[in-house]
Amino acid sequence: MGREKAAKEALNLLRGRLCDPTFVFKPLSDSPESNYSKLKFIISSSVTEACNNSILLLGPRGSGKIAVLELVLKDLFLEYPDMISVIRLSGLLHSDDNCAFKEIARQLCVEHDLLFSKMASFDDNSQFMIAMLRECGLAHKTVIFVLDEFDLFAQGKQRLLYSLLDAMQSITSQAVVIGVSCRLDADQLLEKRVRSRFSHRKLMFLPPSKEDLQRLLGHILSLPLDSTLPRDYAVEFNAKLQNMLADEKFKQTIYTYMDSDATVNHLLRFLFRAVSYMDLGSGFLALENFKTALPNIQRQPKLECITEYKSIHDTFQTSDYYARNVCLRAFEHLQQRELISFTDNRGHNQSVEFRPVKLLISSYELQKGLKSYRSCPVILLKLMDREA
Amino acid sequence: MESDTEQMRAVKEALHVSTAPSTVVCRENEQRRVLEFCKACVEQEKAGNLYICGCPGTGKSLSMEKAKHLLVDWAKEVGHQQPDVLSINCTSLAKTSDIFSKILGEAQPRKKVNGSTTSALQQLQNLYSQKPRSSAMKMMLIIADELDYLITKDRAVLHDLFLLTTLPFSRCILIGIANAIDLADRFLPRLQSLNCKPMVVTFRAYDKDQILTILQERLLALPYLVFQPQALELCARKVAAASGDMRKALCVCRSAIELLEAELRKSSRNFNLSTVEKALFEQQTTAADILRKQEIDVVRLDHMVVALSKTYRTPIVDTIQSLPQHQQIVLCSAAKLFHGGKKDTTVEELNRSYMDFCKSTLIPPVGSMELSTICRVLNDQGLLKVGQSRDDKSKRVTLRVDEADIAFALQGIRFFRKCFRQFCSKHIDS
Repeated sequence: MGREKAAKEALNLLRGRLCDPTFVFKPLSDSPESNYSKLKFIISSSVTEACNNSILLLGPRGSGKIAVLELVLKDLFLEYPDMISVIRLSGLLHSDDNCAFKEIARQLCVEHDLLFSKMASFDDNSQFMIAMLRECGLAHKTVIFVLDEFDLFAQGKQRLLYSLLDAMQSITSQAVVIGVSCRLDADQLLEKRVRSRFSHRKLMFLPPSKEDLQRLLGHILSLPLDSTLPRDYAVEFNAKLQNMLADEKFKQTIYTYMDSDATVNHLLRFLFRAVSYMDLGSGFLALENFKTALPNIQRQPKLECITEYKSIHDTFQTSDYYARNVCLRAFEHLQQRELISFTDNRGHNQSVEFRPVKLLISSYELQKGLKSYRSCPVILLKLMDREA
Repeated sequence: MESDTEQMRAVKEALHVSTAPSTVVCRENEQRRVLEFCKACVEQEKAGNLYICGCPGTGKSLSMEKAKHLLVDWAKEVGHQQPDVLSINCTSLAKTSDIFSKILGEAQPRKKVNGSTTSALQQLQNLYSQKPRSSAMKMMLIIADELDYLITKDRAVLHDLFLLTTLPFSRCILIGIANAIDLADRFLPRLQSLNCKPMVVTFRAYDKDQILTILQERLLALPYLVFQPQALELCARKVAAASGDMRKALCVCRSAIELLEAELRKSSRNFNLSTVEKALFEQQTTAADILRKQEIDVVRLDHMVVALSKTYRTPIVDTIQSLPQHQQIVLCSAAKLFHGGKKDTTVEELNRSYMDFCKSTLIPPVGSMELSTICRVLNDQGLLKVGQSRDDKSKRVTLRVDEADIAFALQGIRFFRKCFRQFCSKHIDS
C-alpha cells in the first residue's frame, strides 16, 4: 500500500475514533477506582440483590458522564440479559410532570409490548408506572431510570422526583434512579422530602489527571498493529508518537490548551483539528500539527481582521497616505468585526473620526494575531513590541 | 467467601430503607396517642381530625402504616365495626379536588358515578348532612400524606376537607401528615372559630439514642456482629446532630458496609494472587483465615468516618481544586470583587478583575470570547450565577459558593497563596 494511501486510511481511523465516545472513555474505565467501575458495581449490586438505589453523576459538560453511563449499561445488558430495562428522560423535554409520566408510560409499553394509549390521563399514567414497577419487582427485573439534566427536574413541585423516589421506598419495586447533571449542587436543589429519599450517592467526573491524560492520548492516537494498515508503517507511527508524547514541548502545548477548559470533550475537539493537519506525505503526526491547531481553535475569527487594523495604524504613524474613505471603511470593518467599539452610546451626530474608541481585544491577543499573520509589515511588529 | 457475600447481602437488606421493621421502636408515645384518638372516634362513632407533623425521615408514614393495622385488628377484637381505610398520597392527585372523588368512591363504592352537575365535594357534604338511611354506616379512616400538596391559593380544598369532619353525620377520621409544624395554624384559621382545630401530634427529629436503638433493633435479627459499637455510635451522633433523619442514618450505614466490601474484595484479590499455590495444599482454616474473619469482617470506625464524610461533605472544595487554572483564576477574582460586601457585579468588571489578576501574576489571559465561555461553564456547574442580558458585557454575575470555600480550596495552591494572604489579613482587620 502506498505511503499516502496508508496515511489517509490511518487519518480516517483516527478521526473516526475521536468521534466515538465509547472508544475514548474505555481506557479511563479500566482501573477499579474509576467512575466506570464504581457505577457498574452500584447498579449490578442493585440488580443482584434486588434492592433500590439512587445515584447522581455530576461533572462539567463534556466530561463523559453519559458516555461512561452508556458503557456501563451496554456491559450490564450483556451480563444480565432480560433482567434490566432502561427508561430515559431528559430535563429539557420532560420537566413537566404530565409529559414525564406520559413518556415513562410510553417507554414501559414499548419495553413490554403493550399498547400505549395517548388518551391516558395523568392519574392513569402514574398508576400504571407504580403497577409496572411492582410487576417488574415480582419478576426480578430491575428498571433503571436515567434522568438527564437532572437539575431541570428539580424545578417546580418536583412531583416526578418525589413519585419515583417514593416508589423506591417500598419493598415491592426494584429500581435504580440515575441523575445526570452539570450542576454540582444538584442535590441542594431538591426539596427536603425528596432529598431525604435520595440516597446521597454522588459520582464526580473530575478532569483527568496528567498521567491519565498521557494514557488517553496514547490510547487514542496509537494505530492498531493488526488491522489493514501495513504493519511496519503502524509500528513506526506509534514509535514516533511515543517520542512526541514524551516531549516536554508537546506536554506544554497540551497543558496550556487545557488551562481554560479541562474536559475531555474539549481535548477531543483539539485533537481532531490537530490530526487533520497531519502531513499525508510523511504519514506521521508531528508537533507542528498540534501547534498549528492551537491558535486556530482559540481565536480564529479575530485573526482575519488584523489586516484592517494595520491600515489605520499606518495612517497615523508613517508617511503613507491612504485615501480617507479607505481608512473610514477599514474603521467600519473593524467595528463590525467587534475588534473596537465606541465608548459612548450617544447619537451619531458627531463625525465618526472624532468619537472615542476603545479596543475590544486584549493586547496579548493582538500580539499573537500579528505574529501569526505572515505578511505583517515589520514596522507593526516593532510597534507592538514597544508598547507591550 | 460465599458465606461472606451472603452475610453482606442480608445485612444490607436489613438496613435498607424499604425494609419495614417488624416493630416500630422509639415512636411508642406518638403511636399510642394516634391510636387512642382513633379508638375514641370509632367507639363514639364520632368524626375527628388529627394533624401529624415532623421533618422528613422521622417515621410518620411508617408509624401510620402500623397504626392502621392495629386499629383494624382492635376493632375486630372488641366487636366494633371495622372501619374502612383510605390512604392517599396527595402528590399523586392530578387535581387537588380529586381527593373528594376518592373519598366518595370509598364511601359509596357501589353507587355508580353519575355525570351529574354536583361535584364530589357537594355529594359528600350532602351525604354527611343528612341522617343516613341505614343506621350502621362504617367509619372511614382517611390518611392524607404530604398534605401540603393540597394547599391552593384560596386554600379552599384544604378547608373543605377538614370541614367534612365537622358535618353532623360525618363518619370520617381524618389524619393529615405533612412537614410544616404550623400548617394547621397558618392554613386552617377558620377551623378554630368552629372549635374543631385538629389535634397535633409532632414527630420530633430522632436524637442520638433513638437512632442507635433503631439501628441495633434492625441488626438484632442477624446472628453475627457486623458493626463495631463505636462505629454505630458515631453514625448516630453525627446524623442526630445534623438532621435526625433516619433515612440518612440507614444510608450512611449501607455506605460503610459497601466500603468494607470493597476492602474485602481488594484484600481477597491480593490474597488469591499471592497464595494460590499455598491454598492448594493447606487446610481451609489457617490462622490467617481466622484472624481475617475476626478483624476484618466488621465495619470499623474508619469506614464510618469515610461514609459520613461522603454523605455530609459537599464536593465543592474538591471540584474547585480540580478546575483548570483559568477557571480558578476567574473564581478567585470574583471572590475578590465580592469581598467588600458587594452582592453582584457585571461580566465586564469581572473581566477587568481577571485581567488585573493575570497581569499581577504574569499569566497570559484568555480572550474575551473564552472568558464568557468560562463564565458559562462555571454557571452550568453552579459555582457562579450569570444573568441574562442582550449585551454580553452587562450580564450580572453573583457567586453561588461561599468565599470561604474558595479560599479554603485554593489556599493550598502556591499560585493563589499571595492572593489569599491579602484576603486573610482583610478578614482579621474587619
